[in-house]
Amino acid sequence: MLLIIHNIGEHNSLFLIAILLYLIAAVTALILIKHHKLCNIASNIICMAAALVGAAASLIKIFTGTTQTNSFILQSTIPQLSMNIRIDTLSAFFVLCLSVLVFSVSIYSIGYISHYYGKRNVGLFNFLYVSFILSMFLLMIAGNSVFFYIAWEAMSIISYFLVIFESEREENLRAGKLYIIMTHLGTAFLLIGFMMMYSYTQSFDIFGSSAAIPAAAKNLMFVFFLIGFGTKAGVMPLHIWLPQAHPAAPSNVSALMSGIMIKTAIYGMIRFMFCYLQIQDVWWGVVILCVGIVSTVLGVAYALMEHNIKKILAFSSVENIGIILIGLGVSFIAFAQNNEFLGGLALVAALLHTFNHTLFKGGLFLSAGSIQYATHTKELDKLGGLIKKMPITALMVLCFSLAISAVVPFNGFVSEWLVYQSLFLNIGYGGGGLNILSILSIAALGLAGALAAACFVKLFGISFLGLPRSDNAQKAKEVPATMNIGMGMLAGLCLASGLFPGFFIDIADKVVRSLTGLSITANLQGGFLNATAPLVVSGNSIAPLEILIVILALIAGALLIIRLIGGKYIERKYGTWDCGFEALNSRMQYTATGFSKPLRIVFSILYRPGRKVEIEEGISSYFPTSIKYKVWTEPIFEKYFYNPVLNMVSKISLKIINTVQTGSIHAYLIYIFIAVLTLMLYNRLA
Amino acid sequence: MVEAVYLIVQISVIILIAPLVNGIIKKIKALTQKRTGGPLLQMYYDLFKMLKKTAVVSDVSSWIFKVTPFIVFSTAVAAALIVPVTTLIKPRWFPGDLIMLVSIFALGRFFMMLAALDAGSTFGGMGASREAMISSLIEPSIIVSLITVGLIAKSTSVFEIMNFMQEIHNPLIHPVYIMSFCALVIIIIAETSRIPVDDPGTHLELTMVHEAMVLEYSGRNLALMELGAAIKQLVFITLLVNIFIPHDQLINITGFAGIGISLLVYLLKIVVVSIVIAIAEVSTVKLRLFSIPNLAALSFILSFIGFLQYFVFGG
Repeated sequence: MLLIIHNIGEHNSLFLIAILLYLIAAVTALILIKHHKLCNIASNIICMAAALVGAAASLIKIFTGTTQTNSFILQSTIPQLSMNIRIDTLSAFFVLCLSVLVFSVSIYSIGYISHYYGKRNVGLFNFLYVSFILSMFLLMIAGNSVFFYIAWEAMSIISYFLVIFESEREENLRAGKLYIIMTHLGTAFLLIGFMMMYSYTQSFDIFGSSAAIPAAAKNLMFVFFLIGFGTKAGVMPLHIWLPQAHPAAPSNVSALMSGIMIKTAIYGMIRFMFCYLQIQDVWWGVVILCVGIVSTVLGVAYALMEHNIKKILAFSSVENIGIILIGLGVSFIAFAQNNEFLGGLALVAALLHTFNHTLFKGGLFLSAGSIQYATHTKELDKLGGLIKKMPITALMVLCFSLAISAVVPFNGFVSEWLVYQSLFLNIGYGGGGLNILSILSIAALGLAGALAAACFVKLFGISFLGLPRSDNAQKAKEVPATMNIGMGMLAGLCLASGLFPGFFIDIADKVVRSLTGLSITANLQGGFLNATAPLVVSGNSIAPLEILIVILALIAGALLIIRLIGGKYIERKYGTWDCGFEALNSRMQYTATGFSKPLRIVFSILYRPGRKVEIEEGISSYFPTSIKYKVWTEPIFEKYFYNPVLNMVSKISLKIINTVQTGSIHAYLIYIFIAVLTLMLYNRLA
Repeated sequence: MVEAVYLIVQISVIILIAPLVNGIIKKIKALTQKRTGGPLLQMYYDLFKMLKKTAVVSDVSSWIFKVTPFIVFSTAVAAALIVPVTTLIKPRWFPGDLIMLVSIFALGRFFMMLAALDAGSTFGGMGASREAMISSLIEPSIIVSLITVGLIAKSTSVFEIMNFMQEIHNPLIHPVYIMSFCALVIIIIAETSRIPVDDPGTHLELTMVHEAMVLEYSGRNLALMELGAAIKQLVFITLLVNIFIPHDQLINITGFAGIGISLLVYLLKIVVVSIVIAIAEVSTVKLRLFSIPNLAALSFILSFIGFLQYFVFGG
């Protein structure tokens, strides 16, 4: 196999340097496999350097290159198997998301992985960790679908190994199995899509033209890509692997998986559906919008019922993918109707929410890791009172929780506001059905926003406030500084991009401009940047920074006036009100399960909750020795869709095995004979 | 200059009038029950007194508990900046639109629920849990009804919507608006913790929602929480009356005189609405907690029908 490196077009070798650094980090991890601490620190530091280079490269690309693509070709003698790297602004945008997250996760990992020292193979872990990042990096800059497919497969398999890294636990292995099966199911659909691509255009080039593909085939490819990428993104009803696999992985890996791995699917959707196939029908967008609505509402609804922190976060990822898809769906609809401004606005909203979700969901998974590091549990009902033991972590978790609940002045609000605005503008452009769909999306977003707030009040309130509910929570200590620095970076970025959305919208806008030739911010007339001029489109503007200043000024004013009227603040510490009985203990507090009970009853049609009470009677029925109370909700997708299908498949396979594999050697000889004969005939005729 | 006037008018009018609304409601309720009731200005006296009192703070609680009253108060006032009491003052910009309004209230509510969980008391958990349910159920209809009105005005800015409504002299005879209006009335009842959704007058754990969340508060912390809740209530009432019962088109005088008259008319509207709320409150009973979803569904359906009628009848 002959390898030649061609460099075509504009030079931007920073991307290659980043790849090289990731490779060095991976090799370093393997070389230092015996020295756990050294290996961890060295490979993470090199990783950080690589992330910095990657971020710089993509920022340069976004701010200088407009439509040009950088390409490097690693030619092999086998035709179609060239490692074709091409970078446009869309790739650069996703590389930027990846790099920002990798940088902070790597700082965090220096502290977090320390609990593996001497217990687990840290070198192997770091090798897998770096290769996982590298595979995502390559996927984002792949120029042909063969290379894309190889990177995609590598990403799936390496992340499988990371999911089952703590393999002594049965549930992790089960989660890993479900994950690898589901992800390959999706990949199979992608593969069909890529093969169709080649059979019509004789080329695997992603950047090539799809003009030769007939309309019907394009529709079919759209469906295949939607299923393939949708599985990886975790959209309902293909999400079932996500709440199993993300909690099973070590927390720094879950941060990467939820923060950026599921976004590679969003990248794939934009790359293959939007850029390659070009939108040809309104129904594409409608389908994506519907999938988005379902994922948004059901994702957060299921998140609310969980009491394992990482499962809550995993389901919430499904919700946020839904929000991104709502933006993407509106954009597809608008472009199909040649309404370019709205299409661009919705695409900016989707990209911005992708970036924002990377920040806060990455941060939240890191927080879950910190909680687990300090208390050795992920169960909300065993936590409590951590705000006093881990004040810095608590502050950051609060920031992330506010950001994900779309509350001002954090970044989640800005991108959801843009999604709202694009839905608002979408009403009236299409037919009656589209209008109703848009208003339903708006209602769904509203419901999801409130449910998300409830969910994260529960997450933060139960784990950090009140009294500790277990010994582990009682003994918790603040985590190492590196972990807090890593999270702090993300929290700072959440606040910064919430207060100064203009800069981040500008980045997303540059990407959209290079894809569609249309700039959104030019039409917004600075509605975000200085708030002096309202948005041209509908006279709406928001000014998060001003709101924050107003709130702070009001707090200062209130403090001053109270001081003037009421005099010096005197405070008396006393126990919590206990209705005059004995002192309260931690078991009298609301639990996570109790907190979500009203909503469980209200939406019982969705959750189908069940409960079982076992009372062991003592001397009299008034003095039971023990009471066991168990409550559960039914996973409807598993019960009514996956399980019946699986049962059917296994039944059919069993039947076939019994008739085909009889165990008689004669039958097998006949099979071989028939196979050879068919091949020969085929060769003869073709 | 205009901005400064706007800021001063908004903040002072809202903060000063907010306790009066509670006073009127309580007075009317007392009168209908053949009681004399406290004076109209009782809440002012209460607030004034509470500010001077020592605050008792639970030893379980953290800084969240102490920060929350300030956040609840300041978010309520910040929200008031988005909802103008009179459209005669036209500043060049507003800090946000109606989606921002919902989000600002969400910030206050987020902290209020956290503070309720902070002391580790069962009451707090109960209040927070119920508030989470009610707010989630009511959220879709808030957004849909306000967006519907926004669609007709072609803007999500509250000021623009109010301004637009000046041209339609009586929005309430229009089928689109009447539906959104009814939806918004239900929303306001739920958001301001009034009968039939919540009962501000009792301290019985079967019925408490908002009161359960603020149970641990005392002294100046309680004063801020109460004032914040009153301001939030007034902001919602302002939203309702200034969108659906516009009055500024009747005033032909410009300058400060016009603003003054406009504010007086506004005050009159607030008083009338307070009386209506009080009468509605004495003539209904509190719903069971699990009947509230029906009310929320009713509100959502009303707002949705309002939206559909927008396409039938136009703006």
